[in-house]
Amino acid sequence: MAALATLAASNAWSAEPVKIGILVPLSGPTAQFGNNIRNGVELALEDMKETGGLKALGADVELVYADVPAPNAAAAATQRLISQDGVVGIIGSFVSSITLAASEVTERAGVPMMTHSFADQITSRGYKFIFQVANKASLFGEKQLTYALDIAKRAGSPVSKIAILYEDTAYGTAQAKGLRDTANRLGIQIVVDESYPLNLTDASPLVNKLRASGADLVFPVSYFNDAILIIRTMRQQNLDIPTVGGAAGYIIPDFKKGLGDLVEGVYSIAPANYDALPAIAEKYKKKYGAFMPHEALMYGAAFQHMVKAIEVAQSRDPEKIRDAIAALRKCDGFSAGLPGGCTAFDANGLTSVAFPVFVQWRGDDIVTVYPPEVAKAPAYWRGKEVK
Amino acid sequence: MIAVLQALADGLMIGGVYGVIAVGLSLVFGVLGIVNFAQAEFMMLGMYVAWFAWRYLGLDPLVGAALSFVAVFCLGALVQRLLIQRIMKAPPVAQIFLTVGLLIVLENSALLLFGPEFRTVKTAYQTRALMIGPIFVSVSYLSAFVAAVIVSGGLWLVLTRTWIGRAIRATAQNPMAATLFGVDTRWIYAVAFGLGTGLSALGGGIVLSYSSVSPTSGSQYVVLMFTVVVLGGLGSVMGALVGGVIVGMIQSLSTLVMPIQLQNLALFTIFIALLAFRPQGLLGSPSR
Amino acid sequence: MMRSLLIIAAVACVALLLGAVLQPRGYAVRVVCLILLAASLGQCWNIVGGLANQVSLGHAAFFGIGAYTSTMLQIKFGLSPWAGLPIGMLFAALVSVLLSIPTMRLKGPYFSLATLAFGEACRIVATAATGLTGGPQGVSVPFAGNSWLLLQFRGAGAYVPVFVGLFVVVCVAFTLLANGRLGYMLRAIRENEDAAEVTGINTLGVRLAGGAISAALTAATGTMFAQFTFFIDPDIVFSATSISIRAALIAILGGVGTLAGPIVGALVIVPLEELLSAYLSNKAAGIAPLIFGLILIGIVVWRPSGLVSLVTQRRGRT
Repeated sequence: MAALATLAASNAWSAEPVKIGILVPLSGPTAQFGNNIRNGVELALEDMKETGGLKALGADVELVYADVPAPNAAAAATQRLISQDGVVGIIGSFVSSITLAASEVTERAGVPMMTHSFADQITSRGYKFIFQVANKASLFGEKQLTYALDIAKRAGSPVSKIAILYEDTAYGTAQAKGLRDTANRLGIQIVVDESYPLNLTDASPLVNKLRASGADLVFPVSYFNDAILIIRTMRQQNLDIPTVGGAAGYIIPDFKKGLGDLVEGVYSIAPANYDALPAIAEKYKKKYGAFMPHEALMYGAAFQHMVKAIEVAQSRDPEKIRDAIAALRKCDGFSAGLPGGCTAFDANGLTSVAFPVFVQWRGDDIVTVYPPEVAKAPAYWRGKEVK
Repeated sequence: MIAVLQALADGLMIGGVYGVIAVGLSLVFGVLGIVNFAQAEFMMLGMYVAWFAWRYLGLDPLVGAALSFVAVFCLGALVQRLLIQRIMKAPPVAQIFLTVGLLIVLENSALLLFGPEFRTVKTAYQTRALMIGPIFVSVSYLSAFVAAVIVSGGLWLVLTRTWIGRAIRATAQNPMAATLFGVDTRWIYAVAFGLGTGLSALGGGIVLSYSSVSPTSGSQYVVLMFTVVVLGGLGSVMGALVGGVIVGMIQSLSTLVMPIQLQNLALFTIFIALLAFRPQGLLGSPSR
Repeated sequence: MMRSLLIIAAVACVALLLGAVLQPRGYAVRVVCLILLAASLGQCWNIVGGLANQVSLGHAAFFGIGAYTSTMLQIKFGLSPWAGLPIGMLFAALVSVLLSIPTMRLKGPYFSLATLAFGEACRIVATAATGLTGGPQGVSVPFAGNSWLLLQFRGAGAYVPVFVGLFVVVCVAFTLLANGRLGYMLRAIRENEDAAEVTGINTLGVRLAGGAISAALTAATGTMFAQFTFFIDPDIVFSATSISIRAALIAILGGVGTLAGPIVGALVIVPLEELLSAYLSNKAAGIAPLIFGLILIGIVVWRPSGLVSLVTQRRGRT
């Protein structure tokens, strides 16, 4: 008996931890999101340990971080994780351009990488080693419009003219293109279609154009600083056009902290929402003091998917892990919080289950209101409940 | 026509604010001859001071901006004594190098101290606007503009009517001569750098009244600040204000004829073209 | 002059040797490549910044032009980057000449800030001209595995000889300029423009030539960068901080106007960044760049005229 215990102990000792690289911006302009991802992945690891998910692996999982504030640092950091630290897979990087630069290295090195960056090109280059847990930006743009149109129709206030305001970044332009194409297809008139430089110092020119246009519905696609400037300036000019944000700045706790009651009723498209995963979301809030933002949830799910795949593959060979990631359909833990309830991938490495959801601000929380099969509460349109 | 008037009003007010955040940069160059790339980081620190004053003392950021000035004045003077003073006689490239290092240090100190979150204040007037005829005048821009005018007037009084102001101007014109008249120029340099960074911090408090702050807020303004002071003439205090209004006007008027995405392209093109005709800026004097 | 060429040859040999012995798809060899690229970029800047004392803060414009020209020609017309490289260089040289029309009379900080604005203007154009550049989404260099013809390889090791070639060309160009007639005239202008003009130096022509050479070589470095990272977007290659200011920092840290300056600068900055990022990424966010900034400040306060002055000063004393 004692001998057995010693054997088990020595076995545990001999098993080197499995290393997974977390490649995210922890400093620089998008540091907030990188730090949220760090929180999400750490919680996901804790969650797996508590539910015994690591037992079958026979080894501990070690997280190796690499801070990439800008895409220029991505390639070297990725290579370092792979050849110096010996990671078997990489999770990251929130910002699409960092993900694109990093995946050029992982592809050539034959190491799997999982991301929730939206850019369309990520999984359209025909690469084998990159997996995208969220939908493409163009689909976000499309759904941002069709979901809103449906809610408006059901609320009895049809929409004929829309305004699109977007930051001129990869994320903003790709999502705006989805919006524009869909509007043209459906015969909706676009009365404002303006991109603006990231980190606007003054939103009045945008809002002046918006006011003059007579749009029924406005779609701002922006990060936080621009979001609050736009919303405040709209309120100054008494514009109460229903607003449908394009994720990013519109679905983080700071949005409510900054704008207070002005956020009530603001819609946004989102890749996932924490209300689908109440138990874990509660834990996150307790630990980090704010609701769990979608990037923490998405990267937590990607991380758990990778760990599970390593366990299935029973190997530390990145090639075999890649195959296991591609074949695995995981529907528990963090993965259950994604719309569609699972993480699974098609032949290109793009999610085969997920779809964007619509959320609306209610008090200090964002609530999933559309599509009906995942909605947690009815939508409100201009203050009235939509049946 | 209304659109033009509206753009002029917006440009004038935002331009006044640009003037205040940039005037400190101009002062630093005029007196110390240093192009300070870290200037916008001092502004960012001022925004944080104003935020904490709002959050914990309940002060409106336009009032809290005074605290920003005091705190960053002290920090700036200290930085000048400890670091800038050592490279006063070094080649200009070394000075650029030092201020870029300072920029990195200040930005990441803020990240370590305050975290990466965006912070913003809520005030009652933030979402109000006055209607002057058909023109909307944002109350927060208007109050920011008024604060900017008061600060500029105050700076003008300090520089022209006080002993320290005269000493600063004397040092800027001729440090040797100033020394002969009993001015301790090393002390004046510290005061001028503190004053310059403090003014940008004060401008930061004003900007916070309608905007938000995070550790990288400075990067949003750094190129803009340089455009403002160079247009006005590096080292010219009045010039910075004129430059600010010009930049605000170009940004807002350009959006009437071209996409908003290109507003800064319009600005930089006019900037370079203007320099070609007036290499010392609009109000700059040929020497320095 | 002989000594300069020997330095270049020695550095090139060491780099080639490292490229041969290091694991070709590993991390160390990638760092060697980054150092070579950084040294080349710093040296390109040094041609105008060091010899003519025109402190440009807009070299990202030429870097981006080089990176985009070869990449877009490859995507749209299947042209090899070897052919795109000279086209990009020519284009950058032309842009540099055009830029000098408004900026040639500018002095000191006015020149620096005008070039800074120009670099930013190029970034905005590259972002807005979606048809020409692919816009803010960026473009990927088409995957071709290992191919000398298309100048791309799976591992970083194969790039070493290419980058050594670039490094040698840029450094030799600097040496020839510094010791030749053009360099002599550039330095004369730096010391006293009016006096140079009086002695019959065509100051305008000399400046144009120096600027064009620097711009063309910067564009070549940009093409190499694109072929090395495989993904570019306007924020990456037209970046004011990570290209323009960085190019100047590399040269200034080592010593402006000296051949060894950018080499020493690159040898300090790149490994320092990598080490800090490797050891401190697990720690509190922001600590690695904070220490990097503190070291920069420490170096400039300690050696305002660059690290190379440590050696030259000592030799001067003995």
